[in-house]
Amino acid sequence: MSQQKSKKIRIDVKHLTRVEGHGNILLNATDGRIEKIEWQVPEAPRFFEAMVRGHSYEDIQIIVSRICGICSITHSLAATKAVEDALGIEVPEQVDKIRRLLHYSEQLQSHILHIGYLAAPDFFGTPSVVPLVGKAEEVVKTIIGIHRAANNWSDVIGGRTTHPITILPGGFTKIPSEKEFKELYESLKDTLGKLKSLASAIETVAENIPVFERDTEYVSLKQTDPSVYTFYHGDITSTDIDGGTVPVKDWHGVANEYVSDQSTAKWAKWHRDSYAVGALARFNNNAKLLSGKAKETAKQLGLEQGCCNPYMNTIAQLVECVHVVETSLGLIDEVLTEGLEEHRPVSKARAGKGVGCVEAPRGILFHEYEFDKDGRCTGADICIPTNQNHANIQKDFEKLVPEIIDEGEESIRGKLEMLVRAYDPCISCSTHMLNVEFVK
Amino acid sequence: MRKEIVVLGLGNEVMSDEGIGVKILRRFEEHSEAYPEVDFLDAGTGGVSVVHMIAERKKAVLIDCAKMGSAAGTIKRFTPADVKSVKELSDFSLHETDLLKVISLSETLGTCPGEIVIFGIEPEKIEPGGKISKSLSDNIEGYIALISKYLG
Repeated sequence: MSQQKSKKIRIDVKHLTRVEGHGNILLNATDGRIEKIEWQVPEAPRFFEAMVRGHSYEDIQIIVSRICGICSITHSLAATKAVEDALGIEVPEQVDKIRRLLHYSEQLQSHILHIGYLAAPDFFGTPSVVPLVGKAEEVVKTIIGIHRAANNWSDVIGGRTTHPITILPGGFTKIPSEKEFKELYESLKDTLGKLKSLASAIETVAENIPVFERDTEYVSLKQTDPSVYTFYHGDITSTDIDGGTVPVKDWHGVANEYVSDQSTAKWAKWHRDSYAVGALARFNNNAKLLSGKAKETAKQLGLEQGCCNPYMNTIAQLVECVHVVETSLGLIDEVLTEGLEEHRPVSKARAGKGVGCVEAPRGILFHEYEFDKDGRCTGADICIPTNQNHANIQKDFEKLVPEIIDEGEESIRGKLEMLVRAYDPCISCSTHMLNVEFVK
Repeated sequence: MRKEIVVLGLGNEVMSDEGIGVKILRRFEEHSEAYPEVDFLDAGTGGVSVVHMIAERKKAVLIDCAKMGSAAGTIKRFTPADVKSVKELSDFSLHETDLLKVISLSETLGTCPGEIVIFGIEPEKIEPGGKISKSLSDNIEGYIALISKYLG
């Protein structure tokens, strides 16, 4: 047998953050026998649930946009949908289209960051994106170009690159002008070309994506009326319910949140011990509804419906980048053909309870709020995709480690870290401050 | 059009002192007409997006909460070369970023402004809540007076 088998393996990758705690990868093994393998994670920022209490229904989306610097638009939209559900606020069709455009912009922003800054260094064999510039300068420039276009896209509709300020229950404070939509259209056409070159570049290093499969339950939104590859409307589906759906208002019976001994964050399970959410889950549930160019990209990169390799989540993200850009070109066309309608949202406080569900870049996201007769928030419950993925990361670890236990500590550590990166857990995004020592 | 100078307020204004950069930025925004050559941007916790916000500018002024080992409320002006980061990152997630690494990426890409000025403000407490500690809020006028000298 191999030499490594006689060695002890001790992997303890610490992830220290300032406020929320710490997250670790822990592996102890002796002579190939695994004694402990754990994904230990801290609580995600649930304190926002307390923070919104007492605030007016009109302010919720602004407050929750600060939950996350990467998914701020998504949190704002989920909250807005929940408020509208609770207070019975109607949303005009064009507002709905422009919201979806804004939501797509964040999918592109987040996915391209993930692909470019977390996954590409792994694929190209560099420790981070900075040295990647020396190794694959054109690839990095393409990624930066796409990211900037996505940021500008969010900015023009949301009023800011992150933490949007234009979203209101029932509408927008301001929508882009016709000229801005036309400029956005041209920018997205250019972005589609850049995504094509990026896909070709990734194809050249696709062999570096680890081969690992674990039969997994995948949960996402599914929209049937009309049938589209959805991020925004629809009901909850799973690969375990044969195309069926569950209304979003029943999300507690899907997430079944529970406390795990190895973590202070809540975990989730539905039909099995764990489930996965995110780009690969959406792809596995809705792949047939992707845009034409997105389907071509999936084919080019070997991603097929039913894929159970979590490392392929990054490829599913790239496929979704193509989808959101191509679909948005059509949506902008529709909006411009209809003519832009300035809509002043009117809403009135009343008591009620509502649920908003959208797909965050990292997976399905639930927001639920209750309001008193003055429209003041009396209760909130937010279930983020990262918490829904924790148990699944643990189950992946448990299957993966025995398969690679002979590869030696460095390789095992690398693959475990890369696996966590494939999920890009949202652990510590609520604070970002500097921590420095002076050298001069 | 991009202005030659950009001021970024960084941090999370619902995490007490962590939001001091954004709070100060709001004050400047109220009088932005006094600074026609300056873009004021709320960078929040957008992380890597800072690369784009500072790209192709002559000067970037960044205001952020910073643990520097000083008394709470202390403001220090420094450049990226004056400090080294002692922030511990796992590199697992996009949700944790180090501003100094983002600036380093910008330099590598060749889009970094020639001049970067960072104003770090030592926090008293970092915890959920929108209120800034007294040791910082009492000094806000002083922070603004100091920073405004570097906006030309």
